[in-house]
Amino acid sequence: MKPISMKPIRSSLQAFAIGVLALAATAPALADKEDFPTAKGTTPTIPGIDSDALEKFGGEEGVHKWAEALFYYIMLDNRINWIFERFGNPKRQIELNTQLETMVLGGPAKYQGASMSAAHSDLHITLTQFNAVVEAAYNACERVNTPYHVCNQLIAALAPFERVIVTR
Amino acid sequence: MKASGSRLGGRIAVALAAVSGLYCANASAGFFDLNTGKVFLTNGAVITDGASGGGINPWATIGGMETRDGVNGTVHYTYANLPSFTLNSVGLLVGLWDRLELSYTWDTGPTSSTYNTVGLLTNTLNSLLTNPVIAPLLTPLGLTQTANTGIEPFNTQVIMNVVGLKLRLFGDAIYNSDSLIPQVAIGGFYKWNANKQLLHTLGAAKADDFEAYVSATKIFFPLSTLISATGRYTSANQTGLVGFGGPDGNKRTFRGEFSIAYLLNKQTAIGAEYAMHSDNLHDVMLGNINANGLVRTLQNIPAVNALVGPTLQSLNGTLTQHEDDWKDIFFAYAPNKNLTFVFAYAMLGQIVLAPHNNGVYMSVQANF
Repeated sequence: MKPISMKPIRSSLQAFAIGVLALAATAPALADKEDFPTAKGTTPTIPGIDSDALEKFGGEEGVHKWAEALFYYIMLDNRINWIFERFGNPKRQIELNTQLETMVLGGPAKYQGASMSAAHSDLHITLTQFNAVVEAAYNACERVNTPYHVCNQLIAALAPFERVIVTR
Repeated sequence: MKASGSRLGGRIAVALAAVSGLYCANASAGFFDLNTGKVFLTNGAVITDGASGGGINPWATIGGMETRDGVNGTVHYTYANLPSFTLNSVGLLVGLWDRLELSYTWDTGPTSSTYNTVGLLTNTLNSLLTNPVIAPLLTPLGLTQTANTGIEPFNTQVIMNVVGLKLRLFGDAIYNSDSLIPQVAIGGFYKWNANKQLLHTLGAAKADDFEAYVSATKIFFPLSTLISATGRYTSANQTGLVGFGGPDGNKRTFRGEFSIAYLLNKQTAIGAEYAMHSDNLHDVMLGNINANGLVRTLQNIPAVNALVGPTLQSLNGTLTQHEDDWKDIFFAYAPNKNLTFVFAYAMLGQIVLAPHNNGVYMSVQANF
Protein backbone atom coordinates (compact mmCIF):
# COMPACT_ATOMS: atom_id res chain seq x y z
CA MET A 1 0.00 0.00 0.00
CA LYS A 2 1.18 3.45 -0.75
CA PRO A 3 1.96 5.55 2.28
CA ILE A 4 -0.45 8.34 2.98
CA SER A 5 0.84 11.22 5.00
CA MET A 6 -0.63 11.28 8.47
CA LYS A 7 -3.02 14.06 9.04
CA PRO A 8 -4.79 14.96 12.19
CA ILE A 9 -8.05 13.18 12.52
CA ARG A 10 -10.55 15.92 12.36
CA SER A 11 -14.20 15.47 13.06
CA SER A 12 -14.97 16.02 9.42
CA LEU A 13 -12.79 13.05 8.56
CA GLN A 14 -14.80 10.94 10.93
CA ALA A 15 -17.56 11.32 8.48
CA PHE A 16 -15.37 9.50 6.07
CA ALA A 17 -18.21 7.34 5.12
CA ILE A 18 -16.67 6.00 2.04
CA GLY A 19 -18.45 3.02 3.31
CA VAL A 20 -21.41 4.45 1.92
CA LEU A 21 -19.75 5.36 -1.17
CA ALA A 22 -21.06 8.42 -0.33
CA LEU A 23 -22.29 11.15 1.28
CA ALA A 24 -22.91 14.54 0.94
CA ALA A 25 -23.59 17.32 3.06
CA THR A 26 -27.05 18.05 4.04
CA ALA A 27 -26.04 21.22 5.67
CA PRO A 28 -26.59 23.75 2.88
CA ALA A 29 -23.53 25.68 4.05
CA LEU A 30 -21.34 22.71 3.29
CA ALA A 31 -22.96 21.57 0.15
CA ASP A 32 -21.37 22.33 -3.18
CA LYS A 33 -22.94 21.64 -6.52
CA GLU A 34 -21.33 18.24 -6.86
CA ASP A 35 -22.50 17.13 -3.45
CA PHE A 36 -25.37 14.80 -2.86
CA PRO A 37 -27.90 14.28 -1.54
CA THR A 38 -29.84 17.37 -2.30
CA ALA A 39 -31.22 19.60 0.42
CA LYS A 40 -34.27 17.38 0.43
CA GLY A 41 -32.02 14.46 1.23
CA THR A 42 -32.66 12.17 -1.69
CA THR A 43 -30.56 11.53 -4.77
CA PRO A 44 -32.36 12.37 -8.03
CA THR A 45 -31.73 8.99 -9.63
CA ILE A 46 -33.12 8.03 -13.03
CA PRO A 47 -35.49 6.35 -12.59
CA GLY A 48 -36.25 7.30 -8.98
CA ILE A 49 -35.68 4.82 -6.19
CA ASP A 50 -38.66 2.86 -4.88
CA SER A 51 -40.83 4.79 -2.43
CA ASP A 52 -40.89 1.85 -0.04
CA ALA A 53 -37.11 1.31 -0.16
CA LEU A 54 -36.52 2.38 3.46
CA GLU A 55 -39.36 0.22 4.70
CA LYS A 56 -37.98 -2.80 2.82
CA PHE A 57 -34.57 -2.05 4.31
CA GLY A 58 -36.10 -2.54 7.74
CA GLY A 59 -36.45 1.13 8.55
CA GLU A 60 -33.77 3.08 10.40
CA GLU A 61 -33.06 0.10 12.62
CA GLY A 62 -32.53 -2.09 9.55
CA VAL A 63 -30.19 0.49 8.05
CA HIS A 64 -28.24 0.57 11.31
CA LYS A 65 -27.79 -3.20 11.24
CA TRP A 66 -26.65 -2.90 7.62
CA ALA A 67 -24.13 -0.16 8.53
CA GLU A 68 -22.71 -2.39 11.27
CA ALA A 69 -22.33 -5.22 8.76
CA LEU A 70 -20.79 -2.79 6.26
CA PHE A 71 -18.02 -1.84 8.65
CA TYR A 72 -17.55 -5.45 9.65
CA TYR A 73 -16.70 -6.20 6.00
CA ILE A 74 -14.72 -3.02 5.44
CA MET A 75 -12.50 -3.69 8.44
CA LEU A 76 -11.86 -7.23 7.19
CA ASP A 77 -10.80 -6.07 3.73
CA ASN A 78 -7.05 -5.57 3.55
CA ARG A 79 -7.43 -3.34 0.50
CA ILE A 80 -9.22 -0.65 2.49
CA ASN A 81 -9.28 -1.37 6.23
CA TRP A 82 -6.00 0.50 6.75
CA ILE A 83 -7.57 3.72 5.44
CA PHE A 84 -10.40 3.48 7.92
CA GLU A 85 -8.03 2.52 10.74
CA ARG A 86 -5.84 5.50 10.01
CA PHE A 87 -8.40 8.20 9.32
CA GLY A 88 -11.69 6.99 10.65
CA ASN A 89 -13.62 6.10 13.73
CA PRO A 90 -15.78 3.13 12.78
CA LYS A 91 -18.21 3.56 15.67
CA ARG A 92 -18.91 7.17 14.72
CA GLN A 93 -18.99 6.26 11.03
CA ILE A 94 -21.63 3.59 11.61
CA GLU A 95 -23.83 6.28 13.19
CA LEU A 96 -23.20 8.77 10.39
CA ASN A 97 -23.81 6.11 7.74
CA THR A 98 -27.08 5.14 9.39
CA GLN A 99 -28.17 8.77 9.25
CA LEU A 100 -27.08 9.25 5.68
CA GLU A 101 -28.49 6.03 4.27
CA THR A 102 -31.76 6.46 6.09
CA MET A 103 -32.01 9.89 4.55
CA VAL A 104 -31.17 8.94 0.96
CA LEU A 105 -33.67 6.07 1.16
CA GLY A 106 -36.37 8.65 1.85
CA GLY A 107 -36.30 8.82 5.66
CA PRO A 108 -35.75 11.81 7.96
CA ALA A 109 -32.82 14.07 7.07
CA LYS A 110 -30.75 13.87 10.24
CA TYR A 111 -27.30 13.56 8.71
CA GLN A 112 -24.80 15.50 10.84
CA GLY A 113 -21.56 14.72 9.00
CA ALA A 114 -19.40 16.78 6.72
CA SER A 115 -19.67 17.15 2.99
CA MET A 116 -18.33 14.13 1.22
CA SER A 117 -15.97 16.15 -0.90
CA ALA A 118 -14.62 17.85 2.22
CA ALA A 119 -14.30 14.54 4.02
CA HIS A 120 -12.41 12.79 1.24
CA SER A 121 -10.50 15.48 -0.60
CA ASP A 122 -7.16 14.77 1.12
CA LEU A 123 -7.40 11.00 1.03
CA HIS A 124 -6.61 10.30 -2.63
CA ILE A 125 -9.23 7.58 -2.79
CA THR A 126 -8.95 5.40 -5.90
CA LEU A 127 -11.82 3.85 -7.83
CA THR A 128 -10.44 0.44 -6.84
CA GLN A 129 -10.85 1.37 -3.15
CA PHE A 130 -14.28 2.84 -3.79
CA ASN A 131 -15.37 -0.37 -5.53
CA ALA A 132 -14.07 -2.37 -2.56
CA VAL A 133 -16.54 -0.47 -0.36
CA VAL A 134 -19.32 -1.18 -2.87
CA GLU A 135 -18.51 -4.86 -2.55
CA ALA A 136 -18.65 -4.52 1.23
CA ALA A 137 -22.04 -2.80 0.85
CA TYR A 138 -23.40 -5.76 -1.13
CA ASN A 139 -21.89 -8.23 1.33
CA ALA A 140 -23.54 -6.29 4.16
CA CYS A 141 -26.93 -6.51 2.41
CA GLU A 142 -26.52 -10.25 2.12
CA ARG A 143 -25.43 -10.46 5.78
CA VAL A 144 -28.62 -8.76 7.01
CA ASN A 145 -30.77 -10.46 4.36
CA THR A 146 -31.75 -7.29 2.55
CA PRO A 147 -32.80 -8.47 -0.92
CA TYR A 148 -30.47 -7.58 -3.80
CA HIS A 149 -33.04 -5.41 -5.54
CA VAL A 150 -33.69 -3.42 -2.37
CA CYS A 151 -29.94 -3.09 -1.88
CA ASN A 152 -29.69 -1.66 -5.40
CA GLN A 153 -32.02 1.20 -4.39
CA LEU A 154 -29.35 2.24 -1.90
CA ILE A 155 -26.55 1.67 -4.40
CA ALA A 156 -28.39 3.89 -6.90
CA ALA A 157 -28.81 6.64 -4.31
CA LEU A 158 -25.14 6.56 -3.28
CA ALA A 159 -23.56 5.96 -6.68
CA PRO A 160 -23.15 9.64 -7.71
CA PHE A 161 -20.91 10.20 -4.65
CA GLU A 162 -18.24 8.39 -6.62
CA ARG A 163 -17.60 11.65 -8.44
CA VAL A 164 -16.66 13.53 -5.25
CA ILE A 165 -15.04 10.70 -3.27
CA VAL A 166 -12.71 9.27 -5.93
CA THR A 167 -10.06 11.89 -6.50
CA ARG A 168 -7.29 9.84 -8.07
CA MET B 1 -3.52 -17.05 -48.10
CA LYS B 2 -3.93 -19.28 -45.12
CA ALA B 3 -0.27 -18.89 -44.23
CA SER B 4 -0.40 -15.09 -44.29
CA GLY B 5 -3.48 -15.20 -42.07
CA SER B 6 -1.84 -17.28 -39.42
CA ARG B 7 1.35 -15.23 -39.64
CA LEU B 8 -0.62 -12.09 -38.88
CA GLY B 9 -2.38 -13.98 -36.11
CA GLY B 10 0.99 -14.94 -34.71
CA ARG B 11 2.18 -11.34 -34.80
CA ILE B 12 -0.91 -10.21 -32.95
CA ALA B 13 -0.50 -12.93 -30.35
CA VAL B 14 3.09 -11.80 -29.81
CA ALA B 15 1.99 -8.18 -29.50
CA LEU B 16 -0.66 -9.06 -26.93
CA ALA B 17 1.81 -11.24 -25.05
CA ALA B 18 4.19 -8.29 -25.00
CA VAL B 19 1.49 -6.10 -23.54
CA SER B 20 0.71 -8.66 -20.86
CA GLY B 21 4.42 -9.12 -20.24
CA LEU B 22 4.79 -5.40 -19.77
CA TYR B 23 2.51 -5.16 -16.83
CA CYS B 24 4.21 -8.08 -15.11
CA ALA B 25 7.64 -6.53 -15.64
CA ASN B 26 6.50 -3.16 -14.38
CA ALA B 27 4.34 -4.39 -11.53
CA SER B 28 5.89 -1.89 -9.18
CA ALA B 29 5.64 1.03 -11.59
CA GLY B 30 1.94 1.55 -11.02
CA PHE B 31 0.85 2.28 -14.55
CA PHE B 32 0.73 -1.39 -15.52
CA ASP B 33 -0.29 -2.80 -12.15
CA LEU B 34 -2.46 -5.87 -12.41
CA ASN B 35 -5.79 -4.68 -11.06
CA THR B 36 -8.96 -6.60 -10.21
CA GLY B 37 -10.99 -3.70 -8.86
CA LYS B 38 -14.09 -3.89 -11.04
CA VAL B 39 -17.34 -4.86 -9.37
CA PHE B 40 -18.75 -8.27 -10.36
CA LEU B 41 -19.94 -8.63 -13.97
CA THR B 42 -19.21 -5.00 -14.85
CA ASN B 43 -16.60 -6.27 -17.32
CA GLY B 44 -19.43 -7.83 -19.34
CA ALA B 45 -18.87 -11.17 -21.02
CA VAL B 46 -16.74 -11.87 -24.11
CA ILE B 47 -18.56 -12.11 -27.44
CA THR B 48 -17.61 -14.38 -30.34
CA ASP B 49 -15.90 -11.38 -31.95
CA GLY B 50 -13.62 -11.29 -28.90
CA ALA B 51 -14.75 -7.96 -27.43
CA SER B 52 -16.43 -7.31 -24.11
CA GLY B 53 -20.20 -7.44 -24.41
CA GLY B 54 -23.08 -9.87 -24.07
CA GLY B 55 -22.92 -13.02 -26.16
CA ILE B 56 -23.09 -11.60 -29.68
CA ASN B 57 -23.24 -7.79 -29.23
CA PRO B 58 -20.31 -5.64 -28.13
CA TRP B 59 -21.04 -3.28 -25.22
CA ALA B 60 -19.39 -0.02 -24.17
CA THR B 61 -17.82 -1.89 -21.26
CA ILE B 62 -14.07 -2.56 -21.27
CA GLY B 63 -13.10 -6.19 -20.66
CA GLY B 64 -10.90 -7.40 -17.85
CA MET B 65 -11.46 -6.75 -14.15
CA GLU B 66 -9.30 -3.62 -14.00
CA THR B 67 -10.40 -0.15 -12.99
CA ARG B 68 -8.69 3.00 -14.25
CA ASP B 69 -5.94 2.12 -11.74
CA GLY B 70 -4.41 -0.77 -13.69
CA VAL B 71 -4.63 -3.45 -16.34
CA ASN B 72 -6.17 -6.90 -16.61
CA GLY B 73 -6.82 -9.63 -19.13
CA THR B 74 -9.31 -12.33 -19.99
CA VAL B 75 -9.10 -15.59 -21.91
CA HIS B 76 -12.29 -17.17 -23.21
CA TYR B 77 -13.63 -20.24 -24.88
CA THR B 78 -17.08 -20.21 -26.42
CA TYR B 79 -18.95 -23.11 -27.94
CA ALA B 80 -22.19 -22.86 -29.92
CA ASN B 81 -23.75 -26.08 -31.13
CA LEU B 82 -26.18 -25.36 -33.96
CA PRO B 83 -27.88 -27.82 -36.30
CA SER B 84 -25.77 -26.92 -39.34
CA PHE B 85 -22.75 -25.28 -37.77
CA THR B 86 -20.62 -25.63 -34.67
CA LEU B 87 -18.77 -22.54 -33.57
CA ASN B 88 -15.70 -22.60 -31.37
CA SER B 89 -14.26 -19.27 -30.33
CA VAL B 90 -11.00 -19.04 -28.44
CA GLY B 91 -9.39 -15.74 -27.63
CA LEU B 92 -7.71 -13.36 -25.31
CA LEU B 93 -8.37 -9.79 -24.35
CA VAL B 94 -6.36 -7.13 -22.58
CA GLY B 95 -8.09 -4.30 -20.75
CA LEU B 96 -6.03 -1.18 -20.11
CA TRP B 97 -7.15 1.27 -17.40
CA ASP B 98 -10.82 0.51 -18.10
CA ARG B 99 -10.26 2.71 -21.11
CA LEU B 100 -8.78 0.66 -23.93
CA GLU B 101 -9.42 -2.93 -24.92
CA LEU B 102 -7.33 -5.08 -27.28
CA SER B 103 -8.54 -8.50 -28.34
CA TYR B 104 -7.76 -11.42 -30.56
CA THR B 105 -10.13 -14.31 -31.24
CA TRP B 106 -9.97 -17.38 -33.40
CA ASP B 107 -13.41 -18.53 -34.55
CA THR B 108 -13.56 -21.95 -36.10
CA GLY B 109 -15.92 -24.83 -36.61
CA PRO B 110 -17.04 -27.61 -38.90
CA THR B 111 -20.11 -27.16 -41.09
CA SER B 112 -22.91 -29.68 -41.26
CA SER B 113 -23.63 -32.80 -43.29
CA THR B 114 -25.18 -30.69 -46.08
CA TYR B 115 -21.67 -29.53 -46.92
CA ASN B 116 -20.45 -33.10 -46.67
CA THR B 117 -22.98 -34.08 -49.34
CA VAL B 118 -22.02 -31.24 -51.66
CA GLY B 119 -18.32 -31.84 -51.03
CA LEU B 120 -18.65 -35.53 -51.64
CA LEU B 121 -20.60 -34.95 -54.88
CA THR B 122 -18.23 -32.38 -56.33
CA ASN B 123 -15.27 -34.43 -55.26
CA THR B 124 -16.70 -37.56 -56.88
CA LEU B 125 -17.72 -35.72 -60.02
CA ASN B 126 -14.27 -34.18 -60.34
CA SER B 127 -12.57 -37.55 -60.01
CA LEU B 128 -14.96 -39.11 -62.53
CA LEU B 129 -14.18 -36.30 -64.97
CA THR B 130 -10.49 -37.13 -64.69
CA ASN B 131 -11.14 -40.81 -65.28
CA PRO B 132 -10.16 -41.59 -68.93
CA VAL B 133 -12.92 -44.17 -69.30
CA ILE B 134 -15.83 -42.36 -67.71
CA ALA B 135 -15.00 -38.75 -68.63
CA PRO B 136 -15.87 -39.10 -72.37
CA LEU B 137 -19.34 -40.30 -71.32
CA LEU B 138 -19.93 -37.29 -69.07
CA THR B 139 -18.51 -34.42 -71.11
CA PRO B 140 -21.25 -34.60 -73.80
CA LEU B 141 -23.71 -33.90 -70.95
CA GLY B 142 -22.05 -30.54 -70.47
CA LEU B 143 -20.38 -31.51 -67.22
CA THR B 144 -16.99 -29.99 -66.57
CA GLN B 145 -14.71 -30.08 -63.59
CA THR B 146 -15.65 -27.62 -60.91
CA ALA B 147 -12.97 -25.41 -59.48
CA ASN B 148 -12.12 -25.72 -55.80
CA THR B 149 -15.34 -24.93 -53.93
CA GLY B 150 -13.70 -24.89 -50.54
CA ILE B 151 -16.14 -27.62 -49.58
CA GLU B 152 -14.51 -30.84 -48.45
CA PRO B 153 -16.16 -34.27 -48.51
CA PHE B 154 -16.24 -34.16 -44.71
CA ASN B 155 -16.15 -31.47 -42.01
CA THR B 156 -15.54 -28.38 -44.11
CA GLN B 157 -13.99 -25.82 -41.75
CA VAL B 158 -14.90 -22.21 -41.35
CA ILE B 159 -11.93 -20.34 -39.86
CA MET B 160 -11.97 -16.64 -39.03
CA ASN B 161 -9.44 -14.55 -37.14
CA VAL B 162 -10.61 -11.38 -35.42
CA VAL B 163 -8.55 -8.59 -33.92
CA GLY B 164 -10.40 -5.91 -32.00
CA LEU B 165 -9.80 -2.54 -30.48
CA LYS B 166 -12.21 -0.60 -28.28
CA LEU B 167 -11.89 2.82 -26.67
CA ARG B 168 -14.19 4.11 -23.97
CA LEU B 169 -14.93 7.71 -24.85
CA PHE B 170 -17.00 9.10 -21.99
CA GLY B 171 -19.68 8.30 -19.47
CA ASP B 172 -19.89 5.82 -16.65
CA ALA B 173 -22.25 2.86 -17.07
CA ILE B 174 -22.30 2.20 -13.35
CA TYR B 175 -22.11 5.21 -11.06
CA ASN B 176 -23.92 8.03 -12.88
CA SER B 177 -27.32 6.93 -11.58
CA ASP B 178 -28.54 10.55 -11.59
CA SER B 179 -27.92 11.01 -15.31
CA LEU B 180 -29.21 9.47 -18.51
CA ILE B 181 -25.82 9.80 -20.20
CA PRO B 182 -24.59 6.27 -20.88
CA GLN B 183 -21.06 4.95 -21.12
CA VAL B 184 -20.04 5.33 -24.75
CA ALA B 185 -17.26 3.51 -26.57
CA ILE B 186 -16.11 3.16 -30.15
CA GLY B 187 -14.45 0.06 -31.49
CA GLY B 188 -13.40 -1.83 -34.54
CA PHE B 189 -12.63 -5.32 -35.73
CA TYR B 190 -10.48 -6.61 -38.52
CA LYS B 191 -11.57 -10.09 -39.56
CA TRP B 192 -9.92 -12.45 -41.98
CA ASN B 193 -11.05 -15.87 -43.17
CA ALA B 194 -8.88 -18.85 -44.04
CA ASN B 195 -11.34 -20.75 -46.27
CA LYS B 196 -11.61 -18.16 -49.05
CA GLN B 197 -12.76 -20.71 -51.68
CA LEU B 198 -15.79 -21.57 -49.56
CA LEU B 199 -16.74 -17.90 -49.24
CA HIS B 200 -16.42 -17.53 -53.01
CA THR B 201 -18.68 -20.55 -53.47
CA LEU B 202 -21.26 -18.87 -51.25
CA GLY B 203 -20.97 -15.61 -53.20
CA ALA B 204 -19.31 -13.27 -50.67
CA ALA B 205 -17.54 -10.26 -52.18
CA LYS B 206 -14.66 -10.35 -49.70
CA ALA B 207 -13.14 -12.79 -47.25
CA ASP B 208 -11.44 -10.12 -45.15
CA ASP B 209 -12.82 -6.80 -43.98
CA PHE B 210 -13.09 -4.37 -41.10
CA GLU B 211 -16.09 -3.41 -39.01
CA ALA B 212 -16.54 -0.33 -36.85
CA TYR B 213 -19.05 0.26 -34.08
CA VAL B 214 -20.22 2.68 -31.47
CA SER B 215 -21.81 1.35 -28.27
CA ALA B 216 -23.78 2.95 -25.46
CA THR B 217 -24.32 1.01 -22.24
CA LYS B 218 -25.95 1.89 -18.94
CA ILE B 219 -26.99 0.15 -15.74
CA PHE B 220 -30.19 1.39 -14.11
CA PHE B 221 -29.70 0.33 -10.49
CA PRO B 222 -33.24 1.16 -9.32
CA LEU B 223 -34.39 -1.42 -11.89
CA SER B 224 -31.36 -3.75 -11.55
CA THR B 225 -31.22 -3.63 -15.34
CA LEU B 226 -28.53 -3.04 -17.95
CA ILE B 227 -29.37 -1.72 -21.40
CA SER B 228 -26.96 -1.53 -24.30
CA ALA B 229 -27.25 -0.40 -27.90
CA THR B 230 -24.66 -0.69 -30.65
CA GLY B 231 -24.50 0.62 -34.19
CA ARG B 232 -22.15 -1.51 -36.26
CA TYR B 233 -20.87 -0.33 -39.63
CA THR B 234 -20.34 -3.54 -41.53
CA SER B 235 -21.08 -5.65 -44.59
CA ALA B 236 -20.57 -8.96 -42.78
CA ASN B 237 -22.46 -12.12 -43.55
CA GLN B 238 -22.99 -14.05 -40.28
CA THR B 239 -20.52 -11.73 -38.49
CA GLY B 240 -18.00 -12.43 -41.27
CA LEU B 241 -17.96 -16.21 -40.92
CA VAL B 242 -19.50 -16.24 -44.42
CA GLY B 243 -17.40 -13.33 -45.59
CA PHE B 244 -18.41 -9.78 -46.39
CA GLY B 245 -20.78 -8.37 -48.97
CA GLY B 246 -22.28 -10.28 -51.84
CA PRO B 247 -22.80 -10.30 -55.59
CA ASP B 248 -23.79 -6.63 -55.44
CA GLY B 249 -20.46 -5.69 -53.88
CA ASN B 250 -19.14 -4.96 -50.42
CA LYS B 251 -21.63 -2.38 -49.18
CA ARG B 252 -21.26 -1.51 -45.50
CA THR B 253 -24.25 -0.19 -43.60
CA PHE B 254 -25.05 0.62 -39.98
CA ARG B 255 -26.87 -2.18 -38.21
CA GLY B 256 -28.47 -1.99 -34.80
CA GLU B 257 -27.67 -4.41 -31.98
CA PHE B 258 -29.55 -4.31 -28.69
CA SER B 259 -29.05 -6.04 -25.36
CA ILE B 260 -30.93 -6.07 -22.10
CA ALA B 261 -29.80 -7.79 -18.92
CA TYR B 262 -31.59 -8.12 -15.63
CA LEU B 263 -29.37 -8.56 -12.58
CA LEU B 264 -30.76 -11.33 -10.38
CA ASN B 265 -28.02 -10.81 -7.83
CA LYS B 266 -24.54 -9.34 -7.85
CA GLN B 267 -23.13 -12.42 -9.58
CA THR B 268 -25.98 -13.49 -11.87
CA ALA B 269 -27.69 -11.89 -14.84
CA ILE B 270 -30.27 -13.03 -17.35
CA GLY B 271 -30.99 -11.25 -20.57
CA ALA B 272 -31.67 -11.15 -24.26
CA GLU B 273 -29.93 -9.83 -27.34
CA TYR B 274 -30.91 -8.91 -30.85
CA ALA B 275 -28.54 -8.15 -33.72
CA MET B 276 -29.59 -6.99 -37.18
CA HIS B 277 -27.92 -8.89 -39.99
CA SER B 278 -27.82 -8.36 -43.72
CA ASP B 279 -29.21 -10.56 -46.46
CA ASN B 280 -26.41 -10.15 -49.01
CA LEU B 281 -26.11 -13.68 -50.28
CA HIS B 282 -28.50 -15.71 -52.40
CA ASP B 283 -26.97 -17.88 -55.14
CA VAL B 284 -24.40 -20.62 -54.66
CA MET B 285 -21.36 -20.65 -56.97
CA LEU B 286 -19.86 -24.06 -57.74
CA GLY B 287 -16.56 -22.98 -59.18
CA ASN B 288 -17.58 -20.68 -62.01
CA ILE B 289 -21.01 -22.19 -62.32
CA ASN B 290 -23.88 -20.44 -60.63
CA ALA B 291 -25.83 -23.43 -59.28
CA ASN B 292 -29.03 -21.44 -59.00
CA GLY B 293 -28.45 -20.02 -62.48
CA LEU B 294 -28.14 -23.56 -63.80
CA VAL B 295 -31.44 -24.52 -62.20
CA ARG B 296 -33.11 -21.38 -63.57
CA THR B 297 -31.73 -22.15 -67.04
CA LEU B 298 -33.27 -25.59 -66.86
CA GLN B 299 -36.55 -24.06 -65.72
CA ASN B 300 -36.53 -21.85 -68.82
CA ILE B 301 -36.48 -24.86 -71.10
CA PRO B 302 -40.24 -25.49 -71.60
CA ALA B 303 -39.95 -29.23 -72.04
CA VAL B 304 -37.82 -29.64 -68.92
CA ASN B 305 -40.00 -27.30 -66.93
CA ALA B 306 -43.15 -29.17 -67.95
CA LEU B 307 -41.56 -32.38 -66.78
CA VAL B 308 -39.88 -31.42 -63.50
CA GLY B 309 -40.84 -27.78 -62.98
CA PRO B 310 -41.95 -28.06 -59.33
CA THR B 311 -38.84 -30.06 -58.47
CA LEU B 312 -36.58 -27.41 -60.00
CA GLN B 313 -38.51 -24.67 -58.24
CA SER B 314 -38.04 -26.43 -54.94
CA LEU B 315 -34.36 -27.12 -55.71
CA ASN B 316 -33.77 -23.48 -56.50
CA GLY B 317 -35.40 -22.53 -53.20
CA THR B 318 -33.30 -25.05 -51.30
CA LEU B 319 -30.13 -23.75 -52.94
CA THR B 320 -30.94 -20.11 -52.20
CA GLN B 321 -29.20 -18.57 -49.22
CA HIS B 322 -30.89 -16.30 -46.72
CA GLU B 323 -29.63 -14.65 -43.60
CA ASP B 324 -31.71 -13.92 -40.53
CA ASP B 325 -31.08 -11.53 -37.66
CA TRP B 326 -29.41 -13.10 -34.65
CA LYS B 327 -31.12 -13.39 -31.28
CA ASP B 328 -30.27 -15.02 -28.01
CA ILE B 329 -31.40 -15.33 -24.43
CA PHE B 330 -28.63 -15.76 -21.90
CA PHE B 331 -27.77 -16.56 -18.33
CA ALA B 332 -24.45 -15.27 -17.00
CA TYR B 333 -22.90 -16.28 -13.72
CA ALA B 334 -19.65 -15.15 -12.12
CA PRO B 335 -18.83 -17.48 -9.20
CA ASN B 336 -15.90 -15.23 -8.41
CA LYS B 337 -14.00 -12.35 -10.00
CA ASN B 338 -11.76 -14.68 -11.98
CA LEU B 339 -14.48 -16.61 -13.74
CA THR B 340 -17.62 -15.92 -15.74
CA PHE B 341 -19.86 -18.55 -17.31
CA VAL B 342 -22.48 -17.78 -19.92
CA PHE B 343 -25.18 -20.21 -21.00
CA ALA B 344 -27.43 -19.10 -23.81
CA TYR B 345 -30.01 -20.26 -26.28
CA ALA B 346 -28.84 -18.84 -29.59
CA MET B 347 -31.42 -18.27 -32.32
CA LEU B 348 -29.38 -17.57 -35.43
CA GLY B 349 -32.04 -18.47 -37.99
CA GLN B 350 -30.95 -19.45 -41.46
CA ILE B 351 -27.21 -19.87 -41.98
CA VAL B 352 -26.28 -20.18 -45.67
CA LEU B 353 -28.78 -22.81 -46.88
CA ALA B 354 -29.90 -24.33 -43.60
CA PRO B 355 -32.77 -22.75 -41.65
CA HIS B 356 -33.61 -22.96 -37.92
CA ASN B 357 -30.12 -22.75 -36.52
CA ASN B 358 -31.10 -22.59 -32.89
CA GLY B 359 -29.04 -24.17 -30.20
CA VAL B 360 -26.99 -24.01 -27.08
CA TYR B 361 -24.22 -21.45 -26.54
CA MET B 362 -21.76 -21.86 -23.71
CA SER B 363 -18.85 -19.68 -22.76
CA VAL B 364 -16.26 -19.71 -20.04
CA GLN B 365 -14.09 -16.69 -19.35
CA ALA B 366 -11.15 -16.50 -17.01
CA ASN B 367 -9.89 -13.15 -15.74
CA PHE B 368 -6.40 -12.62 -14.40
